[in-house]
Amino acid sequence: MANNDEPLVKRADGKKGLTKHDLNQLWYRWQVGWFSSSSYEKLESHGFAWSYIPFAEKFYKDDPEGKARLLTRHSQFYNTEPQVGTVINGIVAALEEGIALGDDIPEEMPTSVKTALMGPLAGLGDSVIQGIIVPTLLSIGMSLSSDGSVAGPIFYIVTWLAIGMAICYGMFRYGYKMGLGAIDNLVGEKSMRLMDAINVLGIIVVGTLAAGKVAVSTIVQIPHGAEMGALQDTLDGVFPGLLALIVTMLTWWMLNKKQWSATKVLLVLTAAVVVLCCIGFL
Amino acid sequence: MSNLFPALICGLFCYLGAIECANPLGTTGSFYCLGRPLVAGLIVGLAFGDVTNGILCGVAVQAVFIANLSTGGATNSEITYASYGGIGLAMASTKDPALAVTLAVLVGNTFGLIFYNLRMAFYSVFNNKALEAAEKGDGKGITTWHIVIPQICTFLLRFVPTFAAILLGEGLVNDLANNAPELITHMISVLGGVLPALGIGMLMNIVIKDKFQLVFFFLGFVLLAFGGLDTIPVVFIAAAVAYLYYLAKSKTAAAPVAQTQGTDAVYEDPDLF
Repeated sequence: MANNDEPLVKRADGKKGLTKHDLNQLWYRWQVGWFSSSSYEKLESHGFAWSYIPFAEKFYKDDPEGKARLLTRHSQFYNTEPQVGTVINGIVAALEEGIALGDDIPEEMPTSVKTALMGPLAGLGDSVIQGIIVPTLLSIGMSLSSDGSVAGPIFYIVTWLAIGMAICYGMFRYGYKMGLGAIDNLVGEKSMRLMDAINVLGIIVVGTLAAGKVAVSTIVQIPHGAEMGALQDTLDGVFPGLLALIVTMLTWWMLNKKQWSATKVLLVLTAAVVVLCCIGFL
Repeated sequence: MSNLFPALICGLFCYLGAIECANPLGTTGSFYCLGRPLVAGLIVGLAFGDVTNGILCGVAVQAVFIANLSTGGATNSEITYASYGGIGLAMASTKDPALAVTLAVLVGNTFGLIFYNLRMAFYSVFNNKALEAAEKGDGKGITTWHIVIPQICTFLLRFVPTFAAILLGEGLVNDLANNAPELITHMISVLGGVLPALGIGMLMNIVIKDKFQLVFFFLGFVLLAFGGLDTIPVVFIAAAVAYLYYLAKSKTAAAPVAQTQGTDAVYEDPDLF
């Protein structure tokens, strides 16, 4: 086990690179400050610069101009998914380490790497984290808490922190270790196939959400022989959750086929509920 | 003023769980954990001394915000204001989950979004200062303009409105809820059941990339609605289906690659045509 203060890479010329502590600091400062001063103009830009302050103090102590160039190039526009996207932080850490130690790496390189990778990694990260992992864990948590038990939130907090932190820190170290090779593996064919399969799991969970969380029932009474009975009872006998399924499919259709904004769909749903309640259907 | 303590807690956590909070827990522990309505339900419930109802409200609100996406900094609904403002106000008044859903959507899509967008527009001023500091190689200046001042502003923008809403809104919401005609109360409870369809529809929009994948959606639906299964067994079934899908894809992917190897150049360049 390497000491925290020992450089991870020993150079032949005796120059000292990043220690484990330096790397952890780069990762942790990004985690804390990534969105702190976000605006529509700059988004995550200054979060990146802020994560490099200790690095700048250490490697550019006697080179104020190099330090200013380092902090300036990491204040340029940047925006990606902050957890899966740490793979970029890792790759850039390796590049910046090389630059600081005088390797033959152009100073524009970290910027071009960030600009080229932030889009694809944002797409990958958003669909995996916000599209599959978080909703799946939340769905399980919600079902554990359907009676108001604390088990649901506790389950989510524990499993998400374990999985989320592992991804977030693992991606960073992976990027540092593999350099640009990390990207080939991440967007490679095998990894895409794995994503597709995990996506299938996500879709099935969304189906359970529609059945469990959308609650629509009609209050219409229909004749059952001589007496009046609830239409809902008849529907439940034929196809339980039919109305919930119809509402969900219509919502998806408005969002997907009609390309309506979420706000517009929200207004349409609200208006529909008001009208259907007034005519005594819901 | 009996809600002074819960209002303080809701205001504080509305800041701690925010996407732009420089929380020492990191984004994984703050926005993606404290900021979720399910977790907010537990925290607000503890603050009000009624964990069960807090969690029931949290579960109901969570369904609507299950697909909260913030891409490119743009968001369609501010989840943290919705969580702590909406659930907090509901817990301060009737403790009814359907009311919590309606309030959360109202708070998230109006006040929350306005505060969020104002901040995202205004912080460009701080960004310019941070850039000036970077150009001088001034690390302390970056900390001032990237962390210290934005965090003070964010705290005020998050804490003050949420705290005030819960402290002062209790009476208003109670009056409205108690004096509303029965039809309105009925509509709010129906809306509470319908609005999760919005969150779920948005999630479908992310995960369903091809129409044939609706088969998997229906599978999940039917296992719950007809099969009466709970979510957890369905997740295990889903994992098995996903694994089979992966195996099947691996086989079909291997075959055509071998056949088309010779004509790769033609297939790989769509600009050719």
